[in-house]
Amino acid sequence: MIRFTNVSKSYDSDIVLKDISLSIEKGEFAFLTGPSGVGKTTLLKLVYCAERPDEGEIVVAGWDLKKIKPGTIPFLRRNVGIVFQDFRLLMNKTVFDNVALALRIHDMHPQEIKQYVGDVLKEVKLKHKENIFPQHLSGGEQQRVVIARAMVAKPTVLLADEPTGNLDAETSGAIMKLFRGINAKGTTVLIATHNDSLFHGMGRRVFYLKDARIEKERIE
Amino acid sequence: MRIFLYSVETSLKSLWREKWINLLTVLSISIGLLIISAFATITHNLDSVLKRWSRDFGLVVYLNDGLSKEAEDTLTAFFRHDADISGIKYISKEQALEELRLTLGEQSPVLEGFEDNPLPSSFELTLKQERLDPVFVQRKASEIKRLNGVEEVQYGEKWLSSLNALANIMKVSVVFLGGAVFIAIAFITYSTIKIFFYRRKDEIETLKLLGATRSFIRLPFLLEGLFIGIMAGAVSALGLFGVYSLVMSKVAGFLPSINIVMVPLPLKAYMPAPLAGALMSFLGSFVAVGTIKY
Ligand SMILES: Nc1ncnc2c1ncn2[C@@H]1O[C@H](COP(=O)(O)OP(=O)(O)OP(=O)(O)O)[C@@H](O)[C@H]1O
Ligand SMILES: [Mg+2]
Repeated sequence: MIRFTNVSKSYDSDIVLKDISLSIEKGEFAFLTGPSGVGKTTLLKLVYCAERPDEGEIVVAGWDLKKIKPGTIPFLRRNVGIVFQDFRLLMNKTVFDNVALALRIHDMHPQEIKQYVGDVLKEVKLKHKENIFPQHLSGGEQQRVVIARAMVAKPTVLLADEPTGNLDAETSGAIMKLFRGINAKGTTVLIATHNDSLFHGMGRRVFYLKDARIEKERIE
Repeated sequence: MRIFLYSVETSLKSLWREKWINLLTVLSISIGLLIISAFATITHNLDSVLKRWSRDFGLVVYLNDGLSKEAEDTLTAFFRHDADISGIKYISKEQALEELRLTLGEQSPVLEGFEDNPLPSSFELTLKQERLDPVFVQRKASEIKRLNGVEEVQYGEKWLSSLNALANIMKVSVVFLGGAVFIAIAFITYSTIKIFFYRRKDEIETLKLLGATRSFIRLPFLLEGLFIGIMAGAVSALGLFGVYSLVMSKVAGFLPSINIVMVPLPLKAYMPAPLAGALMSFLGSFVAVGTIKY
């Protein structure tokens, strides 16, 4: 579903990723970890074409990102749900509208949108706050809105960048359960985190990034 | 289609959210449109007045005193064969005197002072409708003046030619002014939409990351520009109607002849401004949004 072959990426002269090769299969639930600033977010950005690699090949859901046309990028991204590390919520829209946006760009029927958004907000336990603006939510609640938006369109790939950064252990557990649920329905999930308690004892593949390389890859 | 409706909704919301900037934009544009419409209207009125006056004037051809009957008949025949002339009326010296006497009424005894009839015989010629432009009338007059037995040709030339020159200057200025105003409109909308676009740069970036297509991102801005243009056009059309009606009713009070000069504007005269405003404003927003890069 996601395949990197000898991918390198640097910002100016600063090499962030060097010769990365990895492959995540369809339906897999994998983790990406490493210290802060190592390049986890950068790697995810390469997946959804927000950054382009300097070298190497990336294939996502069948699209060869080297050959993808700018006009096709939106269609790639519709298959990829993203939990952004910096949330990227629209502050002038309500919780409902923020989540609904991910469906509106698909030209979905308003009635269906209402249904889908209602369901996903129930899953993240924010149904009662659907008409509130994000700045009136706590950090953890905002985090859950972002997760709801990433899941609502039932993407083939879900990328989550530090999805539990603002959550207590109990809520983190609930969120991880949501991810496992969507994964069980067939979505490939890749979670970037430096919180190793998220993957300890999960029995999933974990990629360890260190000094611009994948230092090791093992099942935790 | 749903995306279109959603874009309409988004653009209307933005119009409302930024109502002060938008109001300012709409007003600036409508003032521009109003100025150009006023100019065009004045020019149009002047033009139609010119047409009507030259029709009423016709040409009066005064004949040499003592011209023979044969010479007069030759002229009659000549005028009859001229394709530009639609009416010929011969007025003899005697008829002219009689008419003058009637016009003078009680003062007519002053005419007794003349030994001979001082008035010349004349032809009153009417020109064909389609030939009634001032330049042509002028040319025709000097042509006729060169004929044998013609003393003088009158057609209110001073009025006609100066009014005509004015009308021509006005027409040229309308074109130039119009061009300038239209460019200004596009520019005004351009800067307003550009401001909105920059203000929502973050939001646009997020939309792109969520998988929105270019048209999904662009459409609300384009529609907003279009709506601004249409509103400005409507405001200026209303303004024109108001000013025009006011002038016609108020000025007519102390200057009744204004009704000769000003004709009520037909409904379609109010259409060009909104259309042009909408078009130029749309163009402005189109340039402002530019290309969306992924
Ligand atoms: N747009 C950019 N321009 C220049 N340098 C950048 C840019 N984005 C990231 N970097 C640099 O690349 C390196 C990797 O950043 P990245 O955000 O991928 O780290 P990370 O592993 O996600 O860290 P964290 O765990 O803190 O989120 C950092 O040193 C950062 O300063
Ligand atoms: Mg990061």
